[in-house]
Amino acid sequence: MGVIHKFSVCRNDDFETPAHLRARLSDLRCWRDYYIEFEQQPDAASLQRVANALANGHVESVTIDAAMPSDAVQVSYHRGIVDNESDSICEMAALVGVPALAARLARVYQSSSRELVEVIGAEARNPNIETLHETEPELQTLLPLATYEAAQWFDVAAMDDEQLIELGSANGRSLELEKMRLIAEIQTKLGSANVSDALLESLDARWSDHCAHTTWKAAGNLLKVLMQSSSDTNNKNIVSMFYDNAGIWDFYDGYGIALKAETHNGPTAVSAYFGQLTKIGGVLRDILGTGKGADPIGVFEYTATGVPGKRAPIDNRPNPHQIANETIRAVKEYGNTFGVPMMQSKMEFNDSYSAKPFALGGSIGLIPNAMAEQGKPQVGDMALIIGGLTGNDGIHGASASSAGAQMDTTSVQIGSPLEEIKFREAILELRDAGLIRAITDMGAAGVNSAFGEMGEDVGIWINTAVVPLKTSGLAMWRILISESQERMALAVAPENLSDAREILDKHRVRNAVIGRFTGTQRFAVVHEDKLTQQDIVSMDVSKLPEVAETGFDLPYELVTYRPAQIEVAKPRAASRIESSWENVTFADCVTKLAQVAGDARVCSQRAASMQYDSSVGGRTHYGPFTKSDIATGYWAAKPLYTSDAAVVFASSFTPNLFEFHPVLAARQTLVAALIQQVVAGVALTDVCLSDNFYTPHLIDQANEWLAAMVHELADDARIFGTPFISGKDSSAGSTNTRDGVIHVPPAVFIAALGKVPDAVNLRPETWTKPGNLLVQVGLETPSIAGTVAADVFGSSSNEVDEIDVFGAKALLDSLQQVSLDVSPSARMIGSGGLAATAMKGALDSGLGVRLAESSPQMLLAENRCCALLEVSSDCFGELPVQLNARVVGEIIEGPASVKAGDEELLSDAVRDAYFNTFTEVLA
Amino acid sequence: MTKPTAAVLYFPGTNSHLETMVAFERAGAKAELLFLTDVLNGTKTLDSCDVLCIPGGFSFGDHLGAGALAGAYLREELQGQLSAASEKPLIAICNGFQIAMRSGVFGPDVTLDINESGTFHHAMYQRHIVDQTTNCVWLDGLSNDELRFPCAHGEGRFRFTSRDGWQPALRYPDDDNPDGSTDNIAGVTTPNNLVLGLMNHPERLLSDQRNQQIFRNGVRAAQG
Repeated sequence: MGVIHKFSVCRNDDFETPAHLRARLSDLRCWRDYYIEFEQQPDAASLQRVANALANGHVESVTIDAAMPSDAVQVSYHRGIVDNESDSICEMAALVGVPALAARLARVYQSSSRELVEVIGAEARNPNIETLHETEPELQTLLPLATYEAAQWFDVAAMDDEQLIELGSANGRSLELEKMRLIAEIQTKLGSANVSDALLESLDARWSDHCAHTTWKAAGNLLKVLMQSSSDTNNKNIVSMFYDNAGIWDFYDGYGIALKAETHNGPTAVSAYFGQLTKIGGVLRDILGTGKGADPIGVFEYTATGVPGKRAPIDNRPNPHQIANETIRAVKEYGNTFGVPMMQSKMEFNDSYSAKPFALGGSIGLIPNAMAEQGKPQVGDMALIIGGLTGNDGIHGASASSAGAQMDTTSVQIGSPLEEIKFREAILELRDAGLIRAITDMGAAGVNSAFGEMGEDVGIWINTAVVPLKTSGLAMWRILISESQERMALAVAPENLSDAREILDKHRVRNAVIGRFTGTQRFAVVHEDKLTQQDIVSMDVSKLPEVAETGFDLPYELVTYRPAQIEVAKPRAASRIESSWENVTFADCVTKLAQVAGDARVCSQRAASMQYDSSVGGRTHYGPFTKSDIATGYWAAKPLYTSDAAVVFASSFTPNLFEFHPVLAARQTLVAALIQQVVAGVALTDVCLSDNFYTPHLIDQANEWLAAMVHELADDARIFGTPFISGKDSSAGSTNTRDGVIHVPPAVFIAALGKVPDAVNLRPETWTKPGNLLVQVGLETPSIAGTVAADVFGSSSNEVDEIDVFGAKALLDSLQQVSLDVSPSARMIGSGGLAATAMKGALDSGLGVRLAESSPQMLLAENRCCALLEVSSDCFGELPVQLNARVVGEIIEGPASVKAGDEELLSDAVRDAYFNTFTEVLA
Repeated sequence: MTKPTAAVLYFPGTNSHLETMVAFERAGAKAELLFLTDVLNGTKTLDSCDVLCIPGGFSFGDHLGAGALAGAYLREELQGQLSAASEKPLIAICNGFQIAMRSGVFGPDVTLDINESGTFHHAMYQRHIVDQTTNCVWLDGLSNDELRFPCAHGEGRFRFTSRDGWQPALRYPDDDNPDGSTDNIAGVTTPNNLVLGLMNHPERLLSDQRNQQIFRNGVRAAQG
């Protein structure tokens, strides 16, 4: 142990004080305390050098070893969680000549108010991961110190059902009786006297829905259904689909584009900041772990949470307002730091997501097609872990989130983007040097999942004692399943290890050989601290060493889990309540248009998205905003600096609609995404898809609706020739709360990725010329159900329009024949209907529009499968009949206006609602 | 004629090096990535190329403040090489500007503070006016021009207590100052006019020839 000193760094003004806290505590002051443990007692001059290095002397002052004032509180991570900045603080100290062993960061809040503890405890601390100190904490050392906990052993084969159930759910596990019985069988087959907690935990994670997709498998192998439909498209652009961390779509010039989206719903419910932070980090790792390594070139995100202003339905969980703000902070901090442009971001507020938000993060990556094949480890290869340290965070993330269980403190994952950006560059260099035999990301269930799955073909032997830790003394099972972020698993041939490490060292990427691929077809995990990394590197894999503690060592065939098949019938829809616009008048529309414009589904979310870097990389060609700061319907980039070929991205999701009829809603969602691609200028055969299902598990017909949605999308994909190449399912969307069980609707988010050989042929959305017509094309969905208007006017209709898929195919085939000469701009119709689309068009272009009709249905029906094309009157007759073209307005001279009859719809109140509501909601 | 060489300095956390290298290549230079690790171990030096660029990103995760640790490396370990590199064309963009500022390239009396808004700000077409008094080699022929290129930073509020060691080179229009920089200063140069520091990103709009003139100027200046 060394000597600890504290450095309090405080701004000379009150700029660092968060406004929302200042509103509660008028005299609040904030600063940062750095605790540094030095190797030896520094002299006064050395301490001062460190102090000067920690502060920006122009705007901050620093004091050394000042006691915490009695009217202050301090917030820091729980012991056992290492600050991301610890390494940097030590490095800075060393740079000024004062070597340090460890460091810790805390935030201090000072106020004379009696409410200080209460306000900071509620508003500025996450109780799951942070401690609030009312007095100066007593720190003996900052180093993680603990004694290794040996494995515990259980004679599972001798247990009765009651004991199995108890053990299966003990310690935060989610092993149901059926799975515990299987483990008892495994014990019997192995002829063992007992099994370890390491095996229980390993199988808990491995057999979780998150890792093994048990719900999907039980309901008729739904993944296979989707994969078969993709194969049936015979689309030659498929480079890989589903089996890897991301699907890959052929691009041009020998490159492919990887596509993947995943969700962090459970973690976000517990800690919005870290949940959202790690959803971005996690999906970027998925891209990096695709093939031999793809480079992330774009990120997208979508969040649905409860309605801000309402309480969290579970105590000690972040409320919707906090989730909204923490989402923005997290997405900003990870994406911007990593250096990947934001393609599209959106937030919606919906009570169904108040207990467990929908926290989706997605990414696309660039990869040479020659590197697209997933590598296979060979016997003798090194199991190399790279990146961050492994700690006591993210424990049971996979199994608890899958089971819909209450996630505990250690489920929270702590993200650190710096680690990931370091190995991003290193992986690409390793890939291009041919040094990667196989790679995958370490996400859910950590080492257990990443190396465990990587070793399935040949067998793997892992020594958890050499895994670099940030929390010492971790038990074997914790090291195995920890979801500590920013780690990757590599298989490296022995002859390439030295070169690989040279590259990793150049990029300052921590790395360790923790095991070997063995040729035994067995999964073996041991803990032996007498075996060093060098021992592992030099050992003969045909003669595995004797060790003190073996967590488990068993054939892979024994760890395979096949859930029992369940009968899945066709779902029964609720009794239909027909759509009716009769109770809505034009006067109502005018009066309440501001409410429509201010709805999160319609309004500008610039307050969030202006905080996201959307230009880094220099590849962005179009979006996510027009030059007038209106959100675009699609995003495009030129991935190759040597070519004008573009990748095009669009997504579609309408949670309200799924509440009523998930299958018809899924169909509309898919068609809307495809129309957006084709309207932008992409050929239908050049579009691929990814799906993210988020469904409840405790509603009647949960599996029926899930299966029906999957079959619907599979059938549709086959008809359109647009394959799904990646996807993810989260099937635990029901949550027990203080207010009863809250269910998310059975729903699917669809992302569509397209490509064009020259970006110049993409169709923008900004209107170009007064006198041109605005023409609605597509398949109308006139029902009021699921619309913004339904909420504003209080409709109870649940009628979801049934789109004719073959009509949609004919429409898309015709739409792709419409040239830029005929239609120089187009914008999809969606939330808020024609009124909202016209409003955005006017604000974007600075031009006006005179609408042809003014019925409430015409203004506010959300024709999600329709687009608004700008067409010169001379060309209107050239539009194919399959487009169902209908003139709905005419562009007129500016300034921006939307005229319907004698009314100006784009009033000051409507503009204000559109631009400012989201900001007010976040305040 | 041999192409001038442009070294793009890479710290852990740098994230804008690729497009910056493309900008230099298109401007006629031979661009190469220069790793801090290689400079610290003596394999490479900061001043061995004709042009040095410190590009954007979040060096060391911006721990301890934007550019703080990377700046400390340049200041504490590589001061001599940095001074030599500053006698040739050097451009420091965004985090590179913060690093250069922390390392003392622009003197002791300047800083880049947290944006007035308190948060990161992105704008694709941020407006900049080239200061009409500047003789910065990177802005040759652009005096008083309006240039539009992306703004993407959270700590770019330029503040100063004296004018020693720097001169204004770029300014924001009065009505379009995204970070609250004093006197609308968006970029500065050194007294020798060889070093340009700016928060925003001309390298990201690679198809905009007016923005790319900045890189062509730097490469041309390196050719003498």
